[in-house]
Amino acid sequence: MSAVLRRSRKAPAKDGPAARRDIPPGMRPPPLEPMRNPGLSRARLLDMHRFLRLNRVLEDKLSALYRQGKIVGGLYSSLGQESISVGTACALEPGDLLAPMIRNIGSLLVRGVPPLSLFLQFLARHAAPTAGKDGTLHFDDPGRSIIGPISVLGTLIPVMTGAALAARMRGESRVALTYIGDGGTSTGDFHEGLNLAAVLGLPLVLVVENNGYAYSTPVDRQFAVDSLAERGPAYGIASESVDGTDVLAVYAATQRAAARGRGGGGPTLLECRAFRRRGHAEHDDMWYVPRDIVAAWEQRDPIDRFESFLVEQGHATKGDLRSVEENLAAELDETARQALGSPYPPPEETLRGVYAGGD
Amino acid sequence: MLAKEGNRHRPGGGGLRAVPARAGEVLPAPDDAALLKMLYSMKLTRALEFRIERKLYRQGKIVGGVYVGRGQEAISVGAAMHIRRGGGQDVDDIVSPSHRDMAVFLMQGVSPQRILAQYMGRAAGLTRGRDGNMHMGDLRHRLVAFISHLGDSVPVAAGCALTFRLRGTDQVSFCFFGEGATSRGDWHEGVNFAAVQRLPVVFICNNNQYAYSTHVSRQMRVKQVSDRARGYGLPGESADGNDLFAVFDAVGRATARARRGEGPSLLEFVTFRMTGHSAHDDAGYVPKAQFDEWERKDPIRRFQDELLRRRLVDAAALREMEARIEAELDEAVAWAEKQPYPEPEECLTGVYHE
Repeated sequence: MSAVLRRSRKAPAKDGPAARRDIPPGMRPPPLEPMRNPGLSRARLLDMHRFLRLNRVLEDKLSALYRQGKIVGGLYSSLGQESISVGTACALEPGDLLAPMIRNIGSLLVRGVPPLSLFLQFLARHAAPTAGKDGTLHFDDPGRSIIGPISVLGTLIPVMTGAALAARMRGESRVALTYIGDGGTSTGDFHEGLNLAAVLGLPLVLVVENNGYAYSTPVDRQFAVDSLAERGPAYGIASESVDGTDVLAVYAATQRAAARGRGGGGPTLLECRAFRRRGHAEHDDMWYVPRDIVAAWEQRDPIDRFESFLVEQGHATKGDLRSVEENLAAELDETARQALGSPYPPPEETLRGVYAGGD
Repeated sequence: MLAKEGNRHRPGGGGLRAVPARAGEVLPAPDDAALLKMLYSMKLTRALEFRIERKLYRQGKIVGGVYVGRGQEAISVGAAMHIRRGGGQDVDDIVSPSHRDMAVFLMQGVSPQRILAQYMGRAAGLTRGRDGNMHMGDLRHRLVAFISHLGDSVPVAAGCALTFRLRGTDQVSFCFFGEGATSRGDWHEGVNFAAVQRLPVVFICNNNQYAYSTHVSRQMRVKQVSDRARGYGLPGESADGNDLFAVFDAVGRATARARRGEGPSLLEFVTFRMTGHSAHDDAGYVPKAQFDEWERKDPIRRFQDELLRRRLVDAAALREMEARIEAELDEAVAWAEKQPYPEPEECLTGVYHE
């Protein structure tokens, strides 16, 4: 590993202006720990694998459509972070409130949002969840207890604090979970939302996806702590930092956090360390990210890790796993074709459903 | 950093880190002149605020609300002793006081006359009658005007410190706020920015236990405001805010640290708001026993008793000091009452940048 991480001090910078001699400590992959099954059945493990693979294949297809100019708006990849979306969403009860952010397409898939809806949404078709009026993952789905993301980073946290408060006032045993990036932790809304949840002891699980960069701002320009889990004690709440590329560690930590919330133990700040292996969005070539950091994290691919675990533990063969991928690729090709054949919204519908009280 | 089951933190865990002094460094204790200056400043502040809150306000002579720092004078005074002044633009520190830091204004050189004129809405006040009470500042005295929205002065203070660093000076930015302000988003953004940039700021929280009617236990789940420092990678320290010596010492260390370029510190001084949120508020929500308890911890009496014990002052000297303050204030009130209100046609002068 160290050969990958370290560059000779005398070596010329080959990767453009952002090349660095060493990977800053806050961006190095955490020490590699073996994956451990927190007591999941083979069926559940294979389910999780299927969601991880579905997440990746779906995003690959969307990326291809983006390059064909067929996507309306931006496209934000979760490559290398799928384990965070899938691990957290799988650990919740179906009635728990879940609010995804822009890199959590995997959480929506676990909650049962059909890939067709997602294609339609990104293609801005009339049959999409927002009927073609907004793009990306900007929609909610009350039937699946999904609260829609807010573009303004951090702002969803006080909303989810409010959702958790509402659930408690109604006497419901529901946990509220949402996500924030490393950059979003510097926003005032993060602080206000988390502090209120702490004071009121609400069952909020705040998952911090620390992926090294907030757009082009590296984590060492974002906060002066070694781990964002250190923010937990500053709010008087439990916190934990896990390797976000280990889907089982993410699952287990989320389960602990949800149980704590349900048991009246208040919110949990859960940092999941991973790396954004693509640009901020598809349009961004991330020239500012040194290649050797990306290379180090490519060795930590969450799906490769989980597949090795499944094979080593005898839950599946390499052939089984390959056919999952092939089948999903074929299925999604068909789904994409179907979505591409779906009409755009008619112009006269522009304002329908935009304001409350309309139809 | 990562243990087998992650790096778990539990509420209440983690000891406080005191603001470190440089190895071998002994900060000078205040000399006799400084001790007398501090006693005088606390007494002047209390007497001035008493006139404003208990007399002029009740006589209907004050325009707007009245927010006083009764019982918290040791924090303003002990901290302000470390603010460097009198050396010019590239030497003097800058300070963003809260609305309970009247002493900081006085010690920065603003006269009681101008403060009284400010409270009475006169043209001679700091805002020339445009705004009232503690909503004032004066950059000639290196005082950033207090911002009503609590917590908003924190990013401003960080910005001041950034200019010092860009100019390469060893100036320090002092920033005061209450415990309620620490729940504000602006506070978080400003403190985090200062921490990441290692800016020369001394963050001073006067934890007086009530933010208007919200008790500190409904404000934060941590036991002490200084517990928050850890979330920013800063040293945090809590001290008795009614002990002037403790305040002087802690702010001294934090100031020295900032001047050395080692970044900000978060200091919490525990005290009590010996009044309502403002003059109109009878603080009926505060248990009476708490006032009684904190009355016994009065910072001025404690400090005065110590100076008596050291024989730096005697009863006669104290009477003389108090009489001098009363005479000064009689004169200042009379002067302020004679000042004209601003002329109507001047309404907009000085409101926008000119």
